[in-house]
Amino acid sequence: MTKYIGRRIAASIPVLLLASVLVFLLVREFGADPARVRCQQSRDVHCRARARAALGLDDPLPEQYVTFMGDFLQGDWGQSQRTDRSVAESIRDDLWETSQLAFWGVLFSGGVALAVGVYSASRPYSRGDYLFTGLAFAGIAMPTFWFGLLTIQYLSFELQQLLGTTEPIFYSIPNPLGSGVVDYFRELALPILVLSVQLVAGWSRYQRSSMLEELNSDYIRTARAKGLTRRRVVWKHGLRNSMSALVTIVAIDVGALFGGLIITERIFSRAGMGTLLLSAVNNGDTQVILPWMLVVGAIIVAFNLVADVLYGVLDPRVRLS
Amino acid sequence: MRGRSTRFAVFTCAIVVALVGASVAAAAPSRVPQQAASGTIRIAAEEEPTCADWIASCAGSSWGNWALGNLTLPQALNVNADGEYVPGAILVDLPTLEPGPPMKVTYRIRPEAVWSDGEPITSKDFEYTWKQVVTSKDIYDTTGYIDIESIDTSDPTTAVVTFSKPVALWRDLFGGFYFLLPSHLLEGKSRSKAMKDGYAFSAGPWKLDGGKAGWKKGKTITLVPNGAFWGTKPSIGKAIFQFIPESSAELEAVKTGQVVAAYPLPIDGALDQLDESPSLTYTVSFGNQYDGFWINAKAFPLDSKSVRQAVAYATDRQVIVDQILRPAIRQGRVLQSFIVPTFRQFYVPAFEEYTPQPDRVDELMTGDGWKKGSDGIWAKGGKKASFEINSTAGNESRALTEQIWQSQLRESGFDLKIKNLNSDVLFGSRLPKGQYDVALYASVGTPDPGLCTIFCSNNIPSKKNKNVGNNTTWTNDPTIDRTWSAVDTTLEDAARVTDTQEGQAALAEYVASIPLYQAPEIFIYNHDRLGGNLQDNVVMGPFFTMNEWVLK
Repeated sequence: MTKYIGRRIAASIPVLLLASVLVFLLVREFGADPARVRCQQSRDVHCRARARAALGLDDPLPEQYVTFMGDFLQGDWGQSQRTDRSVAESIRDDLWETSQLAFWGVLFSGGVALAVGVYSASRPYSRGDYLFTGLAFAGIAMPTFWFGLLTIQYLSFELQQLLGTTEPIFYSIPNPLGSGVVDYFRELALPILVLSVQLVAGWSRYQRSSMLEELNSDYIRTARAKGLTRRRVVWKHGLRNSMSALVTIVAIDVGALFGGLIITERIFSRAGMGTLLLSAVNNGDTQVILPWMLVVGAIIVAFNLVADVLYGVLDPRVRLS
Repeated sequence: MRGRSTRFAVFTCAIVVALVGASVAAAAPSRVPQQAASGTIRIAAEEEPTCADWIASCAGSSWGNWALGNLTLPQALNVNADGEYVPGAILVDLPTLEPGPPMKVTYRIRPEAVWSDGEPITSKDFEYTWKQVVTSKDIYDTTGYIDIESIDTSDPTTAVVTFSKPVALWRDLFGGFYFLLPSHLLEGKSRSKAMKDGYAFSAGPWKLDGGKAGWKKGKTITLVPNGAFWGTKPSIGKAIFQFIPESSAELEAVKTGQVVAAYPLPIDGALDQLDESPSLTYTVSFGNQYDGFWINAKAFPLDSKSVRQAVAYATDRQVIVDQILRPAIRQGRVLQSFIVPTFRQFYVPAFEEYTPQPDRVDELMTGDGWKKGSDGIWAKGGKKASFEINSTAGNESRALTEQIWQSQLRESGFDLKIKNLNSDVLFGSRLPKGQYDVALYASVGTPDPGLCTIFCSNNIPSKKNKNVGNNTTWTNDPTIDRTWSAVDTTLEDAARVTDTQEGQAALAEYVASIPLYQAPEIFIYNHDRLGGNLQDNVVMGPFFTMNEWVLK
């Protein structure tokens, strides 16, 4: 197992390096010039030249890349080219913010998807199954931005009007004055709901098909023939054996969430990895984009590994080598 | 079976423990201690300041000044809501000017003006700030400061600044985007390290709560009253600027009472939403940023003044402005100069003669030797009156502006092609190299009326100015050169006003470009919770008088 993990990590390093070269070249070639962004309102015509020199943008591209990677590997992640803020601090803080959203979103979505998937599989082609299938397709098709605005309008503003409270039950922006678990979840409820819609929609379909396959297996029929109750067969045998597919897709999606919450974070005015990336791309801030990409890439690789390992844990027939 | 059950139970427990742990831990680091509700306000800030090292290029953002700089650090001169220079809180009165030569400006500092640590603000602070601007590496704007020869600091309460040549924009020095810096705290240290992420010192009504800790990156800026401030002290115990980048999210936040004030960019239907909220008051103002059609005067066919004038007469700017602004603010005001009306002492509506006049278009074009072809497009010497407009890709209102203009020009016999570009290609390459016909973008007006940097012929990018000149419209006209050069060097106010007004008329006659509209801003506040001196100031921002706000 250790060897397997080591090999997987080693194999991911050239992929990350290649990706970093491509991203660096693309952002430098086609992205915004950080010096221009810094000086766009300055009447001093020499501002841009000074900024380019200070940011090292006059050096040849390969030299800029090598300098960056050399520093990065030695633990010096440098400063943002837009804000001069420490990149390591930015990524640490924003990773923490995104982790919270991702953790609760995945926990909530995983639970709901599991329940919906099991229900649909154990009552296939029933009214309930059709209802959940329809909702799942609606969830997959629904634009996150639009749904986010709807939740703010109805669950924050309209609900407050209905109840006549001085502040909304569910906050549409973080509350810096909030304290305690209740305020914490009042702040996270809407982002989690928005994040969960597409996750639940996708994951419940995986769980349904996987569970359906298990429930139609010979060993399930044998268990039923031996007199086990339907509930026991579904929850004890069917569920356990059907979960490997869901766990795999969840682990893979979790990794992607660390870089993919741009819209959710923006609508709800939350700091996070998505917001950080958006700002960095808009400002041509390669000094942030490259470490961001390497960190998110490493997280994705790590969660893919977790998926593989969990697959083996859930299905002892699978041996990793 | 038993082993599997145990593993499953352990797995489940681990999830529960992780969940509870994460909940508690997650709540901890971002919390701010609860304050008395009556003493704390939350304000929506559409942008986060980029950095707080105000003289460095990293700090060039309006929101930095509005939400932090203007409230915590002193300036020699401020600009009031009427666009006039007034003495800042540190000065006894307006500085005195001796035209010279050499030109000298004397700033008299209030004896009671002190930094938050009790140290007096002195002429040394003027000297330190000047030296930092002219000797540091990555400075945002050295204009005017590089012409300072010396600063006499022999009297701590009087700073006498001597210039090596006349600098008409002297009122912008030690002000504008910049602030006075505390020499006794920063001398001999890295100014950038001490300031870029926030600072503990202050000489304004407010200071960062806990110094750098008062700025939680990506989230909030928290200000508390500066007890050492000698002017009107804030009556509100804590003001939290919360970063909300989406205008629609800002509106919802202020409607639901999560914030008590906001200053969003207008979005369609915003005023209708605000009218439905009886506790909200809003004012619409026109900022100092404005959009215009910037014309390349060396590109065919716009290299002819007659063609430029004909294009201006073919353009119905009121229709364009109505389409862009009315859905958001119910009014559309056409800008008639490259100086915004906020700075009323200089502004003249020089472009108001350019209203749609088909007869004038025909007269100007035929007079210049053009004839309409069978396709209805003007042509001369086998070449059509066809040109291209570029703007930044992805900007919906500018795309709409282009489409309306295209249709208006087509009716008058001009063929306009639309091609929008990446902003870096447009601003970084096309404009400086003159590789465009017309560009649609925004410029920023300043209280000082100087426009020579963008319209005088000596600022056309060339080898002489190392290709960094800002006259990217290739405007080249002796009257424009004379009037706007005089504006930059004339020290006498009345003569400067006359030169500015002549200069605006010359720009309109030459049609160096076509101004469109000022970007509107909406200042919204909850009048059930806030009272006092609440007013917008398009230069200093609407929070500049926050020390005079009261919580109800």
